[in-house]
Amino acid sequence: MVSSQEVRSISKQEPRFDDSLFSLQAMPKLPKGMVKETKKAIAFARKFSDEVVRPHMLDVDRQTHEDPEYLPWDLIKKANEWGFYTMFIPKLFGGQGFNMPSSASVVEELSSACVGMANVVFVHYLGVAGILASWNVSLANKIFREVTEGQKNGNPCLISLAITEPGAGTDVEENALIDRARLGCSAKKVEGGYIVNGSKIFISMGHLSTWCCLIAYTDLKKASENTVTFAVRTGTKGFSFGKHEDKMGQRVCPASELIFEDCFIPDEYVLSDSRTMSGSGTRSIAALIEQYIHFVVEVTRPAVGAFGTGVARGAYETALKFASETEVDGKLLINHEWAQAMLAEMYKNVVIGRLSYTEANYANGLPGGIYNILQRKPIYYYQKYAPKVIFDRLVSPFLNLKITSRIFHKLFVDSQSIEDQHRCSGWASLAKIVGTDMGVKNSQMALEMMGQAGLRHERGAEKFLRDSKLLQIYEGTNQLNRINLFNNLIGCSIPQVREFEG
Amino acid sequence: MLTTIKSELKSFEELARSFAVKELAANRKANDRYPFGPFFDSVIAKAYEVGLLGITLPEECGGIGQGMSALCIILDRISAVDASLSGIIFTNALAHEIMLSAGSKDVLKDIMERAAGAGSVLIAYPAFFNPQESPLKLEAEKTNGTYSLNGVIEYVVLGGLADHALLPARIQGQDGYAFFLVKRDNRQSNRRLSMSAPIFSLGMHACPAVDLTLAGVEGTLIGKEGLGARYFDHASDRMHAAVAAMQCGIMKGGFQEALSYSQERFQGGWEIINWSALRMLLADMAVQVKIADMAVSGAALAVEQQVPQWELFARAAALHLSELACKLTTDGIQILGGNGYMKDYGQEKRFRDAKQIQALMGLAPLRKLKLVNSMVKG
Repeated sequence: MVSSQEVRSISKQEPRFDDSLFSLQAMPKLPKGMVKETKKAIAFARKFSDEVVRPHMLDVDRQTHEDPEYLPWDLIKKANEWGFYTMFIPKLFGGQGFNMPSSASVVEELSSACVGMANVVFVHYLGVAGILASWNVSLANKIFREVTEGQKNGNPCLISLAITEPGAGTDVEENALIDRARLGCSAKKVEGGYIVNGSKIFISMGHLSTWCCLIAYTDLKKASENTVTFAVRTGTKGFSFGKHEDKMGQRVCPASELIFEDCFIPDEYVLSDSRTMSGSGTRSIAALIEQYIHFVVEVTRPAVGAFGTGVARGAYETALKFASETEVDGKLLINHEWAQAMLAEMYKNVVIGRLSYTEANYANGLPGGIYNILQRKPIYYYQKYAPKVIFDRLVSPFLNLKITSRIFHKLFVDSQSIEDQHRCSGWASLAKIVGTDMGVKNSQMALEMMGQAGLRHERGAEKFLRDSKLLQIYEGTNQLNRINLFNNLIGCSIPQVREFEG
Repeated sequence: MLTTIKSELKSFEELARSFAVKELAANRKANDRYPFGPFFDSVIAKAYEVGLLGITLPEECGGIGQGMSALCIILDRISAVDASLSGIIFTNALAHEIMLSAGSKDVLKDIMERAAGAGSVLIAYPAFFNPQESPLKLEAEKTNGTYSLNGVIEYVVLGGLADHALLPARIQGQDGYAFFLVKRDNRQSNRRLSMSAPIFSLGMHACPAVDLTLAGVEGTLIGKEGLGARYFDHASDRMHAAVAAMQCGIMKGGFQEALSYSQERFQGGWEIINWSALRMLLADMAVQVKIADMAVSGAALAVEQQVPQWELFARAAALHLSELACKLTTDGIQILGGNGYMKDYGQEKRFRDAKQIQALMGLAPLRKLKLVNSMVKG
């Protein structure tokens, strides 16, 4: 039992809501240039949406129903021409170096037109995050520069992230559960590298990616301490593609099965390896692996919140247009008070989705968050204004030194306290839940307002609903994210809390 | 269903259950590929043979002559497996109800007597629409006692299948609207009736619809001029119970699949049903399914026995169960995780079908408002 005194002390602990206004804490320190840059990114994304996505998205979706094996090569080429695959890779690694939080605004913009297409662009950054969070700077530099090269020569070089397995979805997202999981993707150490066997499923853009950031386990029974992350190139012997999933929505973005059969991956393509990790006073090896997973989802979950917010906005805009031009029961739909109330609710949903992912990104921008260092004014402006040649010629060679990876590790991994991790991971989950629930909600409301018209494929409204549902599932189901929110923002300061007891 | 307390209805439940298992379950995914895959003609033919296309039609017209309870039981069992066939049965029954409400028993009898197969029995109808809600784009021109139809009517369910279509049209120079029966003969012989490609919809893909364009097509007036709204409202009041039954069936199917999956799928070292947050989701679903069963049974009984305010029971059941079904099917996918989103399982189809069914017979918010309107007037 908890005494009344302890209850009082718990209520004074986390979450201290007055401390949770990350925007207030972060904004004074942020470079002003980020604002202008973010506006530029949004305008660019809007242009792409208007010129490339909106005119074609329904036809392409229809095509994916006619031919379930359809792969969007043309759209990838277009996105590559426009520079979307290098836009958020830091200049250090040859990318364009747009500030990373602005990617969420771009995600929202593209998702308001077609969230499947937004995934065709942004699943790549899930792979980028997977590689970056390993802090293997040398390998990251090699692969990211290939992406830039691919943009120059017109051969898109995309990166996917492979973690989900047939028997383990939620389990692989959460290190506390992984030792109880039914894992199948094993990595066996051999001379000069690893032999990987097993399969991964639901890997977005798998079929279309040049590189795959693969997570495998050297001990399937004790994966929490025995995890290896690889960069695997498509075409590697023993690595093939299986099923192309037949999904309800987001059909333009394929979900692939990846099959590994005695696939040899040389040591040089190991991104991170628990065998070479050394636990510290703050974190055990299992905790370091957990930190890696959380680094990835701290970036990607707010982005999925932005996907949801974009869908919520697209559904709202579709309903608004319909209500403004359709006569119902003797007058325009938009002049019925009930319809006005529904539209207000949908508008509100978009705004709270946006506020949530923005706040989560501010959380990532505070000290200990993954965005913090690149947003410090001297580093930000140096990265922004230093000529590209300096990065390519002078800085790049240093990135290949082992010491550089160690420095990055120190800067990012060691300097993130457990409290920082709780803040970033908890808020990432919050933003993910809010945005994706709003996406589904607004899609449902749009259909309720539009009735028969909304059911037709060519009106676009029903596609928002089909597309939106997946958002509540990937990057950790919203159920897992609720528990992650609880663990990171609530339970962590209450000693008697136990995780994952059922 | 609770309604099967009346033992004579048990046979209908068994008929529909075994029909769904034998004819629908195995090909659910393939049938749902329409219009990008073949249409399940043979299933419709069998549905006709066993009498599913004339449940509430009086025996004197060639139907089975059952009440709303029997129709609800059948729609419930069929929808649990594949709501597309329910959509077909529903649309045809709605057309029957409108015509019966207009006193057109003879016309129906004639259609049934001449029937040579499912296509000639079915009556197409724009089932996702209340003709009073939006301005009609179909007009009837009256000349010497005959009616010639001109204009466009959207989303005519079964339009590509049925030999007859029941269409609402405004008679030139008159207020309100009337119903007209159009025969397929016209379409074939004079090309005055053109048909769009099948509409690609959110859900119930195998319950197809088309847009029709009519240019001087002869229509037979059903009932009286200007009384279309009265016939529609009466039929719609009754058929709301059937909508509730379809949603109830979808909910049962969704719950069952979630319950089975949660006992097989391992995560975190045990079957996921052992996680209490997930079990809570299942518990919510279980409650909703039982409430749905009660609501449908009550609504069907109210319709059959014409209890005071019977139409409110039916409408309330449909509106509420549509909301519940949309919620339950969302959670139904969630329990299956990524698998729930794939066409290999039944949940994603149920999610789409429930939302599609919510739009039957007009905008859901307007139907809800109408509930109060009728109470105030009453």
